[in-house]
Amino acid sequence: MADKKQKSSLPVYLLTGVCLLILCIGVCIAVLIKPYEKAQTYLNVVFMDQSMKIAPSSGLNGLVIKENQIETTPAAEQEQLYDSGEVIRPAFGEQYAVLQCEDISLSVPVYWGSSAELLERGACQATSSVVIGEKGNSVIDAHVNTFFANLNQLEPGNTVTLYTEYGIFTYQVSEKIQFVNTNKKYVLPTEDDRLTLYTCEAQVLGTSENRTGVICTLVSRQFYHPAEEANS
Amino acid sequence: MTKIRFYLPKILLTFLLIFLTIGTELCLLVQHTALTQKAFETVAEQQHLDEKAYAALESYFQSRTNSTGIPAEVYLNAITQEDMKQGILSSISEAMEHLHFHIGDGYLIAMDFTKLEASVTDFFHQYADANNIQKDEIFNQKVQANLEEAEAKILYTADTFRFGTIYEHGWFDKLRKFLDIFKKIMTVLCICTAVILILLILCCKGNFSELLYWLGLTETISGLLISVPCLYLLKTDYFSAFVVKDAQIYAAVTGYLNYLTARTGTAFIIISMTGIIFLILFTAMQKLKNKNQTTAE
Repeated sequence: MADKKQKSSLPVYLLTGVCLLILCIGVCIAVLIKPYEKAQTYLNVVFMDQSMKIAPSSGLNGLVIKENQIETTPAAEQEQLYDSGEVIRPAFGEQYAVLQCEDISLSVPVYWGSSAELLERGACQATSSVVIGEKGNSVIDAHVNTFFANLNQLEPGNTVTLYTEYGIFTYQVSEKIQFVNTNKKYVLPTEDDRLTLYTCEAQVLGTSENRTGVICTLVSRQFYHPAEEANS
Repeated sequence: MTKIRFYLPKILLTFLLIFLTIGTELCLLVQHTALTQKAFETVAEQQHLDEKAYAALESYFQSRTNSTGIPAEVYLNAITQEDMKQGILSSISEAMEHLHFHIGDGYLIAMDFTKLEASVTDFFHQYADANNIQKDEIFNQKVQANLEEAEAKILYTADTFRFGTIYEHGWFDKLRKFLDIFKKIMTVLCICTAVILILLILCCKGNFSELLYWLGLTETISGLLISVPCLYLLKTDYFSAFVVKDAQIYAAVTGYLNYLTARTGTAFIIISMTGIIFLILFTAMQKLKNKNQTTAE
């Protein structure tokens, strides 16, 4: 009889444990749900890279650089060019254009976005400026000791061409500029179509606070595909 | 009915004891693991922060050559990985001093820049001699500006845990006050745990096996409630999604978070295991009791 009584109390002990565990989990959820909801936004910002989880081992600090093969001589099927078309917005760190100027023997890849890693590879376009082909001010800069060493040799009237995957854009140098790096006048959006190229003022050693460059006005805009086709 | 009258208080006490155990253990972990010099130094060693910080410096000075024309070697030959290690350790000890004692104003990382100063000054002078550049006031200013910029960058890189930023925003003072309150909370929690434990012992007076059961339940459940989420975070590698990708900061932050999670998980797994041992002992004692009763009958 006593054995039966003891045996029957074991499931009670087991059930008590399970019930207590469920109760505690419930209490934890109830107590933590509100703080979690509040913290979720911050957690999503701080740990937003859930899909990629890249450990920064390549020395690029997580930056994904994409090199594209951009033709500077349009292919035969692209002989037909159009005045209007669709621009393709690049991703940060993507090479999306080639900047050429025969007058100073300049040919440099242009990356979307600006960082030390990208500046080592070519010229960089500020993401606050407009994508080449869109209306406004496209601002491109590079180091004076590398790609833009001869930028100060550009003179008004020289031609600058930008080749992209979606078209060719030709500009003419209209003005030489000099400004202090804190002066944002030349890098701000503009009403007219222009290209602003600048670099640091060449100095014997060390960096200069002064910037030197050129403003170019748009001469021609040639897209490989008409707007409708690009949309489709 | 009588059984329930005795059973319910024990459930209630166990329920309270579970959360008190969690609270006390978490407080102990914060006090003796999370905010200690040893924890940060262990992470710095495990994650090879000196190596990563030096690589970041190499990359910075090499990239800077493009805009300044000063070869990276001018800086890198004067700063070694060992110097960076000392800088990182200094940043940790300085931060802990600020956190645990109020040591006055200023967050200072101790690093010896004598070699760097000599290297940069020599380079500038040699360059000036070779290119007939006048060594006037402007030249000296340029040397000084370059030195200050380089030293600031090295100190910034050595501060892998970003204690400097925490200091600038006055968070050490806030954390110190929080730790003082924390100590009081911990005392209260310890007293409450002791009181509840005594009450539970009194409820189970004369029945040691039953006391083992309730204690086992407390330990097992409190252990599971914390160790399971910790194991989930470690298994899914949750912290590796950290958004800042500067190698040394990424390693410092994710390394520290993983270290804390692992330590917390381990502590609560041990608590759970203790609980399970209590429950096994309880079952064994019950079986023995049953056997003795059967033999007696």
